[in-house]
Amino acid sequence: MQAETIDYIRFTTISPEMVKKMSVAKLIVPDTYNEDGYPIDGGLIDQRLGVIDPGLKCKTCGGRAKTCTGHFGHIELVRPVVHPEFAKTIYLLLQSTCESCHRILLDEKQMEQFKPVVRDLITTDIIIEDNVETEGKLAMLTKKLKSVKKCPHCGVPQQKLKFERPTFFYLNGNKLKPDEIRDWLAKVSDDDLSYLGIDGKATRPEWLVLTMLLVPPVNVRPSITLETGERSEDDLTHKLVEIMRINQRLEQDIDAGAPQIIIDDLWELLQYHVTTYFNNETPGVPVARHRSTRPLKTLAQRLKGKEGRLRYNLSGKRVNFSARSVISCDTRLGINEVGIPIRLAENLTVPFYVTKWNIDEGKKPLASSTWPCEFNFIGKDGMRKRVTDLTREELLAAIEPGQILERQLIDGDLVLFNRQPTLHKFSIMAHRARVLPGKTLRVNVSITMPYNADFDGDEMNIHVPQSLEALAEARYLMQPKDLLLSSRDGRPISFLIEDQIAGIYLLTKDGAEFTKDEACLMLSNVGIRELPKPLKNGMYSGKALFSLLLPEDLNYTGKNTRGNVVIKNGELVEGIIDHKLIGGGGALLTRIFYEYGADFTSDFILKASTMALRTDYTHGLTVSIKDYYNTPETNREREAIITEAREKVKTLLENYKSKKLESLPGYTRRETFEMLTIAELAHARERAVGYLNKTLNESNNAYLMATIGARGSLLNMAWIKMLLGQQQVRGKRPARGYRGRVLPYFERNSNDPVARGFVETGFMDGLAPLQMYLHAMGSRDSTMTKSLVTAVSGYLQRRLINALQDFYVDTNLSVKDASGALIQTIYGGDGIDPAMTLVEKDLSK
Amino acid sequence: MAKSKGASMKITVGEPVGVVAAQSFGEPSTQMVLRSFHSAGMSSVVTTTGLPRIIEIIDARKRLSFPVMNIRLEKGSEKNYEKAKDVKRRVEGVKLGSLMSSFEENLKAGTMAVHLDREQLQANSLTIKNITDRIKAKFDGLETSSEGDTLTVKHKGKRDIRSVRTAFVRVRNLTVSGIEGIGKAVIQQDDNGNFYIVTAGSNLAGVMEVPGVNKNRIYSNDIFEVQDVYGIEAARNLIAHELSKTISDEGFTVSFKHIALIADAMTYSGKIRSAGRHGITGDKTSIFARAAYEETVKHFVNASVFGERDMLKGVAENILIGKQVNVGTGRIKLAIKKEDLKKIKSASD
Repeated sequence: MQAETIDYIRFTTISPEMVKKMSVAKLIVPDTYNEDGYPIDGGLIDQRLGVIDPGLKCKTCGGRAKTCTGHFGHIELVRPVVHPEFAKTIYLLLQSTCESCHRILLDEKQMEQFKPVVRDLITTDIIIEDNVETEGKLAMLTKKLKSVKKCPHCGVPQQKLKFERPTFFYLNGNKLKPDEIRDWLAKVSDDDLSYLGIDGKATRPEWLVLTMLLVPPVNVRPSITLETGERSEDDLTHKLVEIMRINQRLEQDIDAGAPQIIIDDLWELLQYHVTTYFNNETPGVPVARHRSTRPLKTLAQRLKGKEGRLRYNLSGKRVNFSARSVISCDTRLGINEVGIPIRLAENLTVPFYVTKWNIDEGKKPLASSTWPCEFNFIGKDGMRKRVTDLTREELLAAIEPGQILERQLIDGDLVLFNRQPTLHKFSIMAHRARVLPGKTLRVNVSITMPYNADFDGDEMNIHVPQSLEALAEARYLMQPKDLLLSSRDGRPISFLIEDQIAGIYLLTKDGAEFTKDEACLMLSNVGIRELPKPLKNGMYSGKALFSLLLPEDLNYTGKNTRGNVVIKNGELVEGIIDHKLIGGGGALLTRIFYEYGADFTSDFILKASTMALRTDYTHGLTVSIKDYYNTPETNREREAIITEAREKVKTLLENYKSKKLESLPGYTRRETFEMLTIAELAHARERAVGYLNKTLNESNNAYLMATIGARGSLLNMAWIKMLLGQQQVRGKRPARGYRGRVLPYFERNSNDPVARGFVETGFMDGLAPLQMYLHAMGSRDSTMTKSLVTAVSGYLQRRLINALQDFYVDTNLSVKDASGALIQTIYGGDGIDPAMTLVEKDLSK
Repeated sequence: MAKSKGASMKITVGEPVGVVAAQSFGEPSTQMVLRSFHSAGMSSVVTTTGLPRIIEIIDARKRLSFPVMNIRLEKGSEKNYEKAKDVKRRVEGVKLGSLMSSFEENLKAGTMAVHLDREQLQANSLTIKNITDRIKAKFDGLETSSEGDTLTVKHKGKRDIRSVRTAFVRVRNLTVSGIEGIGKAVIQQDDNGNFYIVTAGSNLAGVMEVPGVNKNRIYSNDIFEVQDVYGIEAARNLIAHELSKTISDEGFTVSFKHIALIADAMTYSGKIRSAGRHGITGDKTSIFARAAYEETVKHFVNASVFGERDMLKGVAENILIGKQVNVGTGRIKLAIKKEDLKKIKSASD
């Protein structure tokens, strides 16, 4: 598929000669267009540098805007300037060499000593992976060179060299001009350079002081025409114009014999412009700005950071053959499917490789003018022809093996399905397309977990694989049915959720019975045509109905939240199927997956959820406000809970004040008091939960859902029915606001728990304005914290991936990195896929 | 790969386990709380938990915000509370400041009177003599005298207020007993009734020399200290253990294999490296991989001076130049004999 042509990429610096060789034009006019709006010859938009206007031809290669890749030009600087990015390197070089004879400041003996170190660095093509030792010695060397007082070669004492950011050098307090630096560096021999690890053939140090400036082609810095017809130049062009302008003035002044001060001033100005041209964020340099005071984006800024060339354009690439839409749910789709709106399917194409075996299959859509039809026809010569009503007949006749057709997306095509943020590999999976009416992408709710998707307006993307390699990867490595077990911890990624859990519970709970009509409806929904054996009263037990979904030879014993679950020969004998087995815990799903395979499992999930939903319809499951009505007794209990909590806090406070309260080890007494108080007040909520658990029963649907793990929790119910309890800000009780009090309503330094964020009512009774305020404080705090966590953990993940991305498993199951370094002798100590964690556990039972 | 009955449970050759580990580890961290300094058990010493602790480890920070040690007692005396108290007394760092009820400074005269708290002294089984000896050993320019419960410190040298004051502050912060670097120590009891000591601050080498301590069961959460005392393998185990503990304390499950891989990646070079700019990524040979990560310009500039080569072996650089990456299916290359190729060509013609 790809021709491997690049062995390696070497970085060097460019010599002035090289600049001249690369350049097609010496630029002399510090301007862009003339009055007629035509590029000036020798200006920055010189047509020899390539063209961006669609009408013009490149004067170098004759290409048009689309075909010409652009050519470099150059500016000859009248006076050399220091390349700002290399200033540090220049400093190192000046420090390491003699100011008089320009030899390296090492005596013969030392030279011998460092020779082998240096040879390692220069001569080996492949840099030694772990050259800690070499690097250490090199660092030692540069340190040593700094302290040399007298040149060992010519005996001249070395004066104090000072480097001032960004580009200034002083020798004994006298400024070193760039041309002096250049002369100095030019006299350092290649051999001496090698002691510093610098290859004189790649980088001659005098090249680090610029005499020529390479000017990038125009299509690197395109000018844009605004609606008003006004031209707006790229930041780089602006900068280059300024460099040229100063360069020209400097030249004129030199020629006119202007005083040295004026020349030096201009020279420094030229240095400034060159500095900001390379990097407009150089420390110690005022930022060059656009007329609108916006800082200019110069070379370094183009490369750097998230929006820079490397991360934005090179590590991430734009694609075609993709689509995006809002998602919604469809319980009739399997977990391995995705519903695609017809309008998308009409516009997405899939390559169809014509062979002698599938030629007829290819003809069908070719003959059609409505979906599914064909768009393009790629002949053996690679010529692409559009299929239209005019060409259809002709192309139909010409079809033969070896050609490629591009047809519209149809049912069964594999597409990649993705939701951002793409945090793990389960955020992009390959689904089978099902072309549907409507405008949204449709998914089964059971597969929302790995994508972390919901249907409150979420949008997702699809990508259509175009090459056979891509298709093969999607087919064999990316389908949800095959990826059922997460590589994080071996738990299923797809399982029943929410009302499906409720449905399965209602279906399989003890004593669940259904009439023949209900049973028939339920079974026909999942494509089962036979009824199980009825009970004595003519009804059908839910357990028996569910058992029809199970493989006949399945034997399983496990535990749900309430007790044991026994499946004997495909018959659910005892226990309720709940979320531990078929939800997030997925114990039963795991077993079915490895015993009966991917297809069976994904089918099972679909059928189980369909049956569960059917049960929901039959049984009915509504949460109403009635579920949250309080009996007088509940209200009394709430009062009791509050009184008790207040009592306890009061005693705590008394103990604290009378110094009876002993500080917990490691904490001050004040901290101890706070901790115990919070614990006491938190306990109030626990008591409320405990009370609800004791008094409510399954006739309360909200309670039912909470206990079986379908949705909500008893804590949620306690919040509504009883009390919200202690609110926290930054992990503590609210404390700030006004002097000595959180809100002006309270007394100063009040010891009332309410004054410190204890909310005594629930949503059912409603919150008093004050308590609502306190609750809002807690909510705000948690919202803010959450938004911070995403940034922090996002960066953590980026760091980890960058550090570990090169690791792979070798053929002997060892883990190696890109350079071949051994990380682990056998992956994970046993070479077993972490996705198999639960399977391993189940098997060893 | 599709795995079902009969299929191998082995990891697939070529699998980019690093990325999988990073994702598996990173994904739950999104759901973690950022600010959680609270201690797990109420009565233990304060430690960092949650995301901050994970970042502390991954960053390979040299100075932990809360170093903690776990000291077990010698075999046979695990259930002896007195022994535990003895070890605690020897280990716990007691500052002079915590032993006094009040103090007076006379900066002009260069003297400081420290009024010691007799109860505190007894609780730590210290005498005034212990303290004066300690001050003598630690400070040259100070003279000490005592009268009753009052200890007087006199500054000898020249009496500029600044040096007098800094000296006095340092005296008050002086660790008069216990082990350097260790602060508060707490005795705790495990489920088996064995006593152990938890300390804030860590000093493995120092604690090892304390009599009554089980030298084989000292635990410290300071990775670098463990590396210095026990070596890199121990440090690796500690990194893995600490990460795994932190993650599971937050109620998440991540296979230990992923955590172990991260720990191995941080330590396989023989020294602890962070997963970042100055660690694993910063040490990569590929210029592109480094440049695409952080400090783009710096890497290009340095590479050009030294004429460095990018051998294009890693993932980041191959994505950059648009080549297939060298992990996963990208590792698999198809080879075909020249003769066979000819045969195929002639057959298809």
